[in-house]
Amino acid sequence: MSETQMQTDLQGGLETAASKDWPGRWSHLYKILDRRGPFADPSFTPDHGDEILLNTCRVLVIGAGGLGCEILKNLALSGFKNIEVIDMDTIDVSNLNRQFLFRPSDVGKPKAKVASEFIMKRVPGVKVTYYHGKIQDKDDDYYLGFQLIICGLDSVEARRWINATLVNLVDGEPERIRVLVDGGTEGFKGQARVIIPTITSCYECSLDMLGKQRTFPICTIANTPRLPEHCIEWASAIHWPKERPDIKMDTDDPIHIQWLYETALKRAKEFNITGVTYSLTQGVVKNIIPAIASTNAIIAASCCNEAFKLITTSQPYLNNYMMYTGNEGLYTYTFDHQKKPDCPVCGNERVTMEISMEITVEDFIEYLKEKQDIQLKKPSLSHAVTNEKIYWQSPPIFEEKTRPNLERKLLEMVKQGDEITVTDTTLPISLQIVVSYI
Amino acid sequence: MHVDKKTQKYDRQLRLWHASGQTALETAKVCLINGTATGCEILKDLVLPGIGSFTVVDDKIVDGSDVGNTFFLVPDSIGKSRAQAVTEFLQELNEDVKGFHFSENPIALIENQPEYFLQFSIVITTNIPEKPLLKLADTLWNAKIPLVVLRTVGFIGYFRIALPEHTNVPFLSLEQYVKTFNFDTLDSMDHGHIPYVVILLKYLEQWKQDHDGKLPSTSAERNEFKQLIQSGKRNADEENFDEALSSAWRACTVTKVPRQVEEIFKDSSCENITSESSNFWIIVRAIREFVANEGQGLLPLAGSVPDMKAYTSGYVAMQNIYRQKAKEDISIVRAHVHDILTSIGRSVDSISDNEIDSRWLRDSQENIVNYVLIRAMDRFYESHNRYPDAATFFLEDDAEEASEEARSEFSTLKTYVNLLLGEWDITNYPEHLDNHIHEICRAGGSELANIASLLGGMVSQEIIKLITRQYIPINNSIVFDGIRSMSSSYIL
Repeated sequence: MSETQMQTDLQGGLETAASKDWPGRWSHLYKILDRRGPFADPSFTPDHGDEILLNTCRVLVIGAGGLGCEILKNLALSGFKNIEVIDMDTIDVSNLNRQFLFRPSDVGKPKAKVASEFIMKRVPGVKVTYYHGKIQDKDDDYYLGFQLIICGLDSVEARRWINATLVNLVDGEPERIRVLVDGGTEGFKGQARVIIPTITSCYECSLDMLGKQRTFPICTIANTPRLPEHCIEWASAIHWPKERPDIKMDTDDPIHIQWLYETALKRAKEFNITGVTYSLTQGVVKNIIPAIASTNAIIAASCCNEAFKLITTSQPYLNNYMMYTGNEGLYTYTFDHQKKPDCPVCGNERVTMEISMEITVEDFIEYLKEKQDIQLKKPSLSHAVTNEKIYWQSPPIFEEKTRPNLERKLLEMVKQGDEITVTDTTLPISLQIVVSYI
Repeated sequence: MHVDKKTQKYDRQLRLWHASGQTALETAKVCLINGTATGCEILKDLVLPGIGSFTVVDDKIVDGSDVGNTFFLVPDSIGKSRAQAVTEFLQELNEDVKGFHFSENPIALIENQPEYFLQFSIVITTNIPEKPLLKLADTLWNAKIPLVVLRTVGFIGYFRIALPEHTNVPFLSLEQYVKTFNFDTLDSMDHGHIPYVVILLKYLEQWKQDHDGKLPSTSAERNEFKQLIQSGKRNADEENFDEALSSAWRACTVTKVPRQVEEIFKDSSCENITSESSNFWIIVRAIREFVANEGQGLLPLAGSVPDMKAYTSGYVAMQNIYRQKAKEDISIVRAHVHDILTSIGRSVDSISDNEIDSRWLRDSQENIVNYVLIRAMDRFYESHNRYPDAATFFLEDDAEEASEEARSEFSTLKTYVNLLLGEWDITNYPEHLDNHIHEICRAGGSELANIASLLGGMVSQEIIKLITRQYIPINNSIVFDGIRSMSSSYIL
């Protein structure tokens, strides 16, 4: 796969980096880098350990949280010398059980800053620059400036954004391919994958693999609660607006959580349901995902191992997905996740959807939001041929103009076999849907 | 409600193992033999969640290569005690944890004073040769202290856990409750809220009546069974029927004791219970008695019910049936345990009630060649006092050739591989064996930071599972191949 070959950049910083080295520093890595291996990529050239280790290959780390801290450490110890890290968050007490570059005195400071300073202090000769802000603030040229991007994010939205951005970046020119290594964890489980935009399956191709968002149908919450979570949802979604309509709920306010907890507990007692606790209440309303140091270590290390193999070609890299489960024994499942031909980001096939002739524009939009393999947040619709706006979420002027269409039947504006272009303000993607009425 | 700082700090993990697991963690004492890169990674992942204390036993003096692959060392550490240097840096990660170091030769310590290790709740070894390891394993086994043996080389990692077993299981029976439902007389609201388990059992009963008491077994029969359920659906919105349909295959499977569990039942330690028998085997024997008698061939019920579309009352009723059955099962097992204890002259309190809960594991696949190679590499080390270390692999059309020394390195390692295969009576040669031997020679005993961190994470997960007694630990060995990014588990 020569078009995806990584370029190693050999300018600047050589002396400074070399002078920080001490005898034996890289002796473990030299064994691998100076020797040919039976499984190595044919393009691998042994005896170039020094060059490889002294290069200034730029790597971007997205996220300086649980995975990010681990990724930065591993890259620095694996010979990467020029790293940038982006993160928009500040340090919270609940990060300290795993984000080991932070101390209690760092609470409130930007993660990206503290992490980069820590790494530079601990590992001599490594340059880690940082950006405390959103990935969406950066443009194509910024992302093109890296040979490789490693993602350690906890948000599906941000992953979809960077994935779509990197796929769109290619624009038919293989030299614009920037490999994305993505990791994610939840509790004792996680996954690591290698995405070569336009070549392998992308993040969007695998959206349907994500577990369904844990949402509960409103009728269950209102009438037939069975789980402690249903009672908590009732307290926050139904009882709060009714009882405290003037107060905006703040899930970071312990007094609000306490109110929700007590309300949920009362409801649970009524229905004979056990298990409502303060901690569970907080977890449900804030959608907290359990996270531990060890799982982060496993997934981050796997991502960095792949990054190292990709950049040095000293071993074959992961093609292209590894799932990890540690709660019942220890299992990994490594497989080639297939590209989806009609993927809204990297596919070139249009999606045909069978829909009712009676459906209104509003209901169709709801349907798009809920569909597991699409999951759009704020879809805007236009007729693909006439460019007529069916419904646009923004700017406000168009939203207002197209709002009356929401109640109309889709059939009035889109005929059998016509194509709709769907865009989403939160994602750089555009989806073509062929309508087939049934 | 006031949430203290500690609860806030540990919030994300308390959601996994709760206060009871955390207390267990905070009272555990972990010993690490040799402060290698991998060893330090394990400790990092245990210090962060708040293990009680850790002790590093290591007499090595830090050299440049250690600082190169270990995050918990700096260039100034070179020339100092490795045990002390890594302990200081690891200690910084969590003020709640106590760190100790002991700059003593671990092999000599095992040899002369093995009882030193009895003060710990778990012992981890990295890079200890076979002979002292066996002695340590023996000492710890008798004291029922888990031992983790770990080794990483190049892109390959391996670990094994030795412990006197640990135990969890499946179930059945709520016919009576099912009988209270008359599907035909229910109104549409009630019909749409019948718990799916009830739907499944109802139609399964109907199926069995029409088929001489047999379960649907072929895929055609299973589809027919699904159609039967489908036919009961009154309208497209009945989610409970969809839930039943998606679980239909489960109902078609005969519930029985898993093969692995049966094998454990046949073990001689289970057969011959004496006053020396461990708690584990006593419980296994009690469960065997249950299966043979009250359980009618089934294991005791676990007692948890997945969420499903149902009325609150219906769901709670069913949950209670499950819980009640689980309670009854466990109390029967407990009675068997008490009988056994009495028959061997031990006090009935000597096995606590929460110990009476069982867990075991499944089987594995290929990847074993890496285990063979790590063992062969250990043999190589025992006789040469160093690891195989040479560039032995060249492409055929390459002008270069392996040196005489390199070739001998390759063939020596291969000899050890063949010896091991012979000892274990393995006649089918692993595929591409030579390539794997080349790769081990190339790795030259190196320890890569990424593989160290990956294996460190796996081992620390296992240690947390053992200490908190929650989730299911491995049984008993894992090989990870960082070239192909795959792991396998083996019972070795």
